[in-house]
Amino acid sequence: MSDSPDHTKGVKRSSSMEDDGNGTKDSKRVKTNGKAKMDNYNPYLAHQYEDSQNDFQSPLDALERHKTTVKQASKAEDSDLNPWTNQPHSQQYFKILQTRRDLPVQKQRQEFLDMYHSSQILVFVGETGSGKTTQIPQYVLYDELPHKTGKLIACTQPRRVAAMSVAQRVANELDVELGEEVGYSIRFENKTGPKTLLKYMTDGQLLREAMHDHEMSRYSCIILDEAHERTLATDILMALLKQIADRRKDLKIIVMSATLDAQKFQTYFFGAPLLAVPGRTHPVEIFYTPEPERDYVEASVRTVLQIHATEPEGDILLFLTGEEEIEDACRRINLEVDDMIRESDAGPMKVYPLYGTLPPAQQQRIFDKAPEPLRKGGRPGRKCIVATNIAETSLTIDGIVYVVDPGFSKQKIYNPRSRVESLLVSPISKASAQQRAGRAGRTRPGKCFRLYTEKAFKKELIEQTYPEILRSNLANTVLELKKLGVEDLVHFDLMDPPAPETMMRALEELNYLACLDDDGELTRLGSLASEFPLDPALAVMLISSPEFYCSNEMLSITSLLSVPQIFVRPNNARKRADEMKQQFAHPDGDHLTLLNAYHAFKGAEQSGQDAKQWCHEHFLSFRHLSSADNVRAQLRRIMETHDIELVSTPFQDKNYYTNIRRALLAGFFMQVAMRESSNSKVYKTVKDDQLVMIHPSTVVSSPYDWVVYNEFVLTTKQYVRTVTNIRPEWLLEIAPVYYDVDTFEKGEIKSALTRVTEKVKRRQTLKGNSGR
Amino acid sequence: MATPPGADDDDYNEVPLQHKRPFGSGLHRKAIAFVPATGDTKSLTAVPAAEAKRPQQSVSDLYRSMVLPHDNIKTHSSLGAPDERIMCEICKLPLDSLAAEHPTARRHETSLAHQLCLPHSHPPSAIDRSRMGLSYLSAHGWDPDARKGLGAAQQGIQFPVKTKPKDDKLGIGLQLPKNLPAPKPKAKLLDAGKVRKLVKEEKRKAERIRQQLYGGKDLEKYLGLGAVR
Repeated sequence: MSDSPDHTKGVKRSSSMEDDGNGTKDSKRVKTNGKAKMDNYNPYLAHQYEDSQNDFQSPLDALERHKTTVKQASKAEDSDLNPWTNQPHSQQYFKILQTRRDLPVQKQRQEFLDMYHSSQILVFVGETGSGKTTQIPQYVLYDELPHKTGKLIACTQPRRVAAMSVAQRVANELDVELGEEVGYSIRFENKTGPKTLLKYMTDGQLLREAMHDHEMSRYSCIILDEAHERTLATDILMALLKQIADRRKDLKIIVMSATLDAQKFQTYFFGAPLLAVPGRTHPVEIFYTPEPERDYVEASVRTVLQIHATEPEGDILLFLTGEEEIEDACRRINLEVDDMIRESDAGPMKVYPLYGTLPPAQQQRIFDKAPEPLRKGGRPGRKCIVATNIAETSLTIDGIVYVVDPGFSKQKIYNPRSRVESLLVSPISKASAQQRAGRAGRTRPGKCFRLYTEKAFKKELIEQTYPEILRSNLANTVLELKKLGVEDLVHFDLMDPPAPETMMRALEELNYLACLDDDGELTRLGSLASEFPLDPALAVMLISSPEFYCSNEMLSITSLLSVPQIFVRPNNARKRADEMKQQFAHPDGDHLTLLNAYHAFKGAEQSGQDAKQWCHEHFLSFRHLSSADNVRAQLRRIMETHDIELVSTPFQDKNYYTNIRRALLAGFFMQVAMRESSNSKVYKTVKDDQLVMIHPSTVVSSPYDWVVYNEFVLTTKQYVRTVTNIRPEWLLEIAPVYYDVDTFEKGEIKSALTRVTEKVKRRQTLKGNSGR
Repeated sequence: MATPPGADDDDYNEVPLQHKRPFGSGLHRKAIAFVPATGDTKSLTAVPAAEAKRPQQSVSDLYRSMVLPHDNIKTHSSLGAPDERIMCEICKLPLDSLAAEHPTARRHETSLAHQLCLPHSHPPSAIDRSRMGLSYLSAHGWDPDARKGLGAAQQGIQFPVKTKPKDDKLGIGLQLPKNLPAPKPKAKLLDAGKVRKLVKEEKRKAERIRQQLYGGKDLEKYLGLGAVR
């Protein structure tokens, strides 16, 4: 065993090495003990002293922090005893270890360690398939030896699913239980324990943690993975870490990117050293069309069929933009393939759609094997995956040899002038086109068919996709930054600072929500709102709900709005699904309908019915309802810790629903629309003057004059989704600053509000008179 | 505001375009008669105006020097050594004192070369100055008129990213010719009500055309009232 100072420092961790049945109990006791000064003997660590007396050697003892070599680490990895749990390694472990040793990163492990030792910040470039996401954190683990320092290693991922699945994989590789030594933390779900040494987490989650720990003092090394995706949270984290690195010289930072534009990261991080590892890729031949295409969906379907007819074995990956388009293309390909098999003896082809809202079971199907030939000696079968750009970086599907790239993807764009965040089909960037092409060369040399001309590729596509920070509403970000203690948002050193107008909008929105005062300082409400992992409007709505005597109900609604749509509407049973939805419908709006459905779900659960079956019968998504339930529990905990009362109006009270409708406005008063004229279906949003229609999914049948909406959807038409009827008097009462009639521009909304103001005044004077 | 309607129209010139004076011609009329400073100072600012021909000539000289063989140059640069000439501070082109002898000739200040070299002033930003967001940003040192973005070196983008919604399936790089034949209207299914409406509408149109053609007063007088109806 190593010397005793190490013991004292790492009490919490070294005890964790002993994994037995009552691990949690054990560590709890040690945790309280760890703070007390320990002299020589700790009864709870008796077993370890015994070990050292018996000259027991942990495989990690020979290692010295920040001075390890590959040889030492490999020796520890090869030993029969798992150094992290002190349990014998399983058979499975050595099998996985073999494959790990074959990964491209392993060859450069020593090089990596040398650089890691000599520099505080390191930029690591490894193409997909190099093994960087799973291996680098483990290399760091064997170097940082966090059980001795008591400081964790964090590895961020842009996506929840990736954080979960990679953590699982690494737990298997290290032969430990997920949630013990290796864990993950994502919004509304934390699977880590007191023993955790390596933590995978979403970038947003690390940002949330930083709000309470400005120095990130829990960590000795932070790895930002997939930095090339430039998500909002990763960008903010990079700027923060750049600051923290200056203050905390003991914090190591690794920025990992999959693309070679890493120079940008290098210059941003004061010229940090760069290590590049080649991926396991094969050459990809690229083809362009000679002429631009009239209809890219049609062209992509034709290309897929052409590949199927003329190219040798190998699976196809087609990139399209959205669910509708993908389902349409799948249908068309299926029809044509049937014809091809009948007419020209083509091989069978399985077509799988892949998009974010697809249920996980169906998403999993893309990993199925390609179908067998129809008869012995017949043409080989293949599978064709029609995917959105989630297949571009986040998912690795082996066996893809052909990629069809029409050059479009759906991108989120925020317009600060109209305050509309929308998903628009836009041309991809050159970097993204290269990424797509690279997907064809994972298993063997492949081909990429681009449905545009080479000239268009060179001239019309932008170099890099705009980072998310330039395309998003920053209200939430600004609130987080304020909570993170960033005073000067103008000179905050972001890699790509957002447009001033976007920043102004965010500040103003927060100002109206009373999260920031007029000088841009965080208010108490703002500080409280930032505790919730929610949009500021939702958080404010939740915090102010006790004033309307309905915090329990608002808690449910908030949770339901934080998960995907709970109403299921399968294509083959639309009518029945709509009828079922009508059962839950509340005439005053969709928010209340959501609440009714949730109450019915809970009722069914409590009455002992099979909730899954019940959901299926009522066309509700069991998965999303249960995750809403989980979210609700999490939010409830936050509310309780901050002493926000949980109250309800009695259901019999005639104001039960009115209170809820009013409480909605406390957060969403900036998302209100007024009907244009008495017999029109068109609404105009307040202050932003956008003409919108109510989304056809609504249950609201009688057209109300004023509605509050949850989201703005821009498709072929502009829609507002999830709407509830409100009364204009409430607006003046609940958000008097925003609805100060004098600040409105001339128009129907202004005159309508003026009328309402006068009416209210008259009523008050009448009341005053009668009172006297 | 208190100004009567149309008062702000003063901003617009009512002078027809063809009578508008060229930019900078005001300098001509309101020329101030400067007096050269006493002594032998070659102060540049003291020289009131200069002829525009000189710089033009020297530009042409430069061109010639590039195009023609070297001995041809001297024949054209008629003036003395360059150090004798006075250079304009702004456009770095020589001024000429001969200007005084040609009052009608264009002054140096009005020459294109000089005008182009003047520092360009941008119009102020159109952002509403009363916004809370602006007051925060300017309190932290962002100037809305400076044409700068945010960031450590104010290197950020100045305007939000723009994209236009795409509601067709046209591939990348396809430019449709502008005078495309309009797509054929789809055949409509009509019921009795719609047909009745259509017929009515057609009748109304025909009636109007007939009115326009035959409804003239003199024609009515000539043919008699009943003829048209």
